[in-house]
Amino acid sequence: MAVPILRQGEVLIVTLQGDLGDAEWAKLTDDLLERVAERPTRFAVLDLSVVDVLDSFACRTIVGLTRMVSLRGPKMIVAGIRPSVAFAMVQLGALLPGVATALDLDHAMALMAHA
Amino acid sequence: MSDSQSTAAAAAFAAIPEKNLRLFWKAYEGRYDEVSARAAEELLALPEFAAFANLINEEESAARQEASHLRLAQAVDTGSWDEYAEELVSQGEMYGEMSISFVSWYKAISVVRVVVLPHLVEAYGSSGDDLVAAVLGMDAFFDVAMATIGTSYLLRKEATIMVQQDAIRELSTPVLPLREGMLILPVVGVVDSHRAHQLTQGLLEAIRASRATVAVVDITGVPSVDSKVANHFIQTVEAAKLMGTVVILTGLSPAIAKALVTLGVDLTKLNTVGDLRGGVEEAERLLGYQVSQIGA
Repeated sequence: MAVPILRQGEVLIVTLQGDLGDAEWAKLTDDLLERVAERPTRFAVLDLSVVDVLDSFACRTIVGLTRMVSLRGPKMIVAGIRPSVAFAMVQLGALLPGVATALDLDHAMALMAHA
Repeated sequence: MSDSQSTAAAAAFAAIPEKNLRLFWKAYEGRYDEVSARAAEELLALPEFAAFANLINEEESAARQEASHLRLAQAVDTGSWDEYAEELVSQGEMYGEMSISFVSWYKAISVVRVVVLPHLVEAYGSSGDDLVAAVLGMDAFFDVAMATIGTSYLLRKEATIMVQQDAIRELSTPVLPLREGMLILPVVGVVDSHRAHQLTQGLLEAIRASRATVAVVDITGVPSVDSKVANHFIQTVEAAKLMGTVVILTGLSPAIAKALVTLGVDLTKLNTVGDLRGGVEEAERLLGYQVSQIGA
């Protein structure tokens, strides 16, 4: 199942609908990198609020994805990381340097409005 | 809990050889009031007990003693110890509730042995066998009685400690919302890894629940931090950052600052401010609040 990527003007929004498998993570990375180039894009938001568990592969993918998207121009924002997921990511060393983080989509919107 | 305890005690009493017990009881019963009075005297002389002494109604305690006497007489007679065992269990619980020290009540009740022994000698001195049997009966009786009182005393104390531990645990991790979007976590007392874990969990959950974007963690009340706990703090700060929240650490004492640098803990990732006031001001700045004094 492909993860929907929504565009709102210069913003791309990816809201995960559940936990993803390895192949799905790889596909999401490819899709997002494609979509970033189709029109001028200032921000890309990855909303993880429904994600309960991230394994080490998913953590690495997220770190890579955020770096790759940033290389193509847009500012990356990761939103809605749960407490348990946040702590697991820290222990796996997935610290997302240079990436903005937000409590939820609402907070991400506020961050973009102020940027 | 106390039910199974009194059942076990009753069984232990019933296991005492009947002949020994009866010989002991025959000599003891004649002196029961005298012995009880001596024991009560000892108890009342305890400083812990003195505070409760004026609460004791003399008539009531005489009636209680009479009832206890009857229960014991009946138990020896019929071999059914349930009621007497229950009485001892509640007696131990009472000592526990009154915070009388173990040594004190043990000594006070042991007086009974000392008082009864001469009477046993007097009654059975002519027959060596009877005397030995009576002393054995007395020893067995008091062993069971003391063990019963002691066990319920300790269980009562342990229950108190459990309640207190829960209370301390709850008190130790308050997360306070100070303003819209701002949390304060004042940490007081020694932080071990277990508590550090609890603090982390409490903070991250509170961040999610209150949608706070800045959290101020104040460790003025923490006497020392080892490298393990320091690393835990750093992980907490990083986890909060992933959630979209900035953590400001305040109140690092000179000793902690020195220890952390000496231990080589990398603190560059932490946002530290000298005291809680400064931390709150920094948080207000990040949130865009401006506080001004009226009329200044």
